[in-house]
Amino acid sequence: MTPINISLLVFMIGLYGVIVKNNMIKKVIGLAMLNSSVVLLFVAIGYRDGGMAPIIDNQTANSIGTVLVNPVPQALMLTAIVVSISLTALALALVVKIYAKYKTLDVQRINKE
Amino acid sequence: MFAHLPILIIIFPLAIAFIIIFLFKKYSPFLSIIGVTVSFILLIRFAPFIHKGDELLYHLGGWQSPLGISLSIDGLSFFFSFTVLLVGIMVILYSIPEKKYNHNYYFLLLLLLSSMIGVIFTADIFNIYILFELVSIVTCLLVAYYQQRVALRASFNYLLISTVALSLFLLGVGSLYSMAGVLGISSISKQIPMIFAENPKIITVSLVLILTSMGIKSAMVPMHGWLPDAHSLAPSSVSAILSGVVVKLGIYCLIRLLYGLFIAGDYHGYFGSSLQLLMIFGAVNIIFGAMMALAQDDLKRMLAYSTIVQIGVILIGISINNTTGFEGALFHIFNHALLKSGLFFCAGIITLQTGKRKIKDFAGYGEKNPFVALCFTILSLGIIGIPPMNGFVSKFLVCLSAVEEEHPVFAIIIIIGSLMTAAYFFRVIQIFYSEPIQSDKNISTIDCEKSYLFQPRIFELSPIFILTGISIIMGIIPSLGLSIVSPAIKVIFSSLLPVLP
Repeated sequence: MTPINISLLVFMIGLYGVIVKNNMIKKVIGLAMLNSSVVLLFVAIGYRDGGMAPIIDNQTANSIGTVLVNPVPQALMLTAIVVSISLTALALALVVKIYAKYKTLDVQRINKE
Repeated sequence: MFAHLPILIIIFPLAIAFIIIFLFKKYSPFLSIIGVTVSFILLIRFAPFIHKGDELLYHLGGWQSPLGISLSIDGLSFFFSFTVLLVGIMVILYSIPEKKYNHNYYFLLLLLLSSMIGVIFTADIFNIYILFELVSIVTCLLVAYYQQRVALRASFNYLLISTVALSLFLLGVGSLYSMAGVLGISSISKQIPMIFAENPKIITVSLVLILTSMGIKSAMVPMHGWLPDAHSLAPSSVSAILSGVVVKLGIYCLIRLLYGLFIAGDYHGYFGSSLQLLMIFGAVNIIFGAMMALAQDDLKRMLAYSTIVQIGVILIGISINNTTGFEGALFHIFNHALLKSGLFFCAGIITLQTGKRKIKDFAGYGEKNPFVALCFTILSLGIIGIPPMNGFVSKFLVCLSAVEEEHPVFAIIIIIGSLMTAAYFFRVIQIFYSEPIQSDKNISTIDCEKSYLFQPRIFELSPIFILTGISIIMGIIPSLGLSIVSPAIKVIFSSLLPVLP
């Protein structure tokens, strides 16, 4: 299995969690998995076999044929991780507020009202 | 002179937002109106430049295109940001007299406006994702502003659905990036033929992912579940900005990415078939939305379903792939932004004055506040598409283009949708001007607005009057509105030209 396939698998598990689970906390966990799977996908895109960290110092600059991994997806994913953390935090804050009002975490019972 | 204007338009409301939250909480309404107005004036300075059909590329910090972040202003983004800022000014003007919003509200509103302009201006497909996430986070906070039970629930559902949509979008971006190696929209579109030759499946995958995600964000019908809740349970001013412009952002990204990226990959008819799909979605939106709106007994919920109907008209217009249809669709985006935000303002005032939300409780409202009832009537005539109003012009253009391109079925569906729209709006208007029913057992279960008897003075209704006025003027002199739209159409169809031979 390549990392790209694994990331799609994780995406599907996250989607399953968001859609099927009734517990709100589990939905939020699914959401976090969705976001992390995308992070995994991007990092896998930037990976090269036998690649080193993309830090160019004197040693790497002088040696010919050094393979470096692509740094752009990693830089992008730093931003995406920040976004996903703030999303998870907001979702959990909403869950706390909803629990205080409804006294339950079951989506079926909340949506019935 | 234009050197740093594009970033200033985004930065100015953002800076004012943080000044409000950290320094001058007391003067938040005043400061926020200044922030948005200055941004609007700065945008207007682009008008003659845009009218010539030019495009401005601005590189942030002077870093050139593949490395740095760039913003681009062309006709399409000018049109959308004009609409966003116009509605933004009106929303702030409407919120000031209600006096129940504190500095947090203005902070979030300015953040929402500046991030929306960011989505519109950016020339980078990854930045669209980041800024769109920002838009949906702020939207969630605004929907749950009063922290009532139902509003919290609606906000949570909106957060879940929009995050799933944007994750799908990011997957699409990832699959494009894995082949193209760049993120700028124009530089990807140059590489699309090469990617297609190498691995056509990638194009299919990313097209499907981006269509799905933007379909969710713009409430195409099987994926519309979040819209009625979020739009009807938010505070009225927030509903106005959500229905007026935030939904249109999904449409903007559809136009920008479909016509900017995938048109070049139209070798096996992907582009044409996705347009046909959008057209069918539009028809479903119109019929389903109108039927659901007829069934509602809550005024704001009815208006929310009416938004779904109008999104259907816009989808048909953008997917017909001819100049007239595009003109109609973009003009309808502008008109619907004005009309629907006006209607939500009216609904907000009505809810505040009567303390109720159900349509049947509004009997006799026409005598209580004749101005608001009159404006509601005029604006709803616009949504229906009665001739002297602007809604007529745009719907007529879309119908005309459907007939021109030999899809008369869609023209008929739009007309049927307009008739059903008339049915559900006239029901409300009839109740406004009927005798009030004497009953003291009025149970209104969902009290989203903090109900106190609010007696607006005339000048506090000014945003409603301004929106009604603009709508009537745009209806009588449609060339005025079409002159804003025409540079946008040039942008879209100039990207079409190289593919035609």
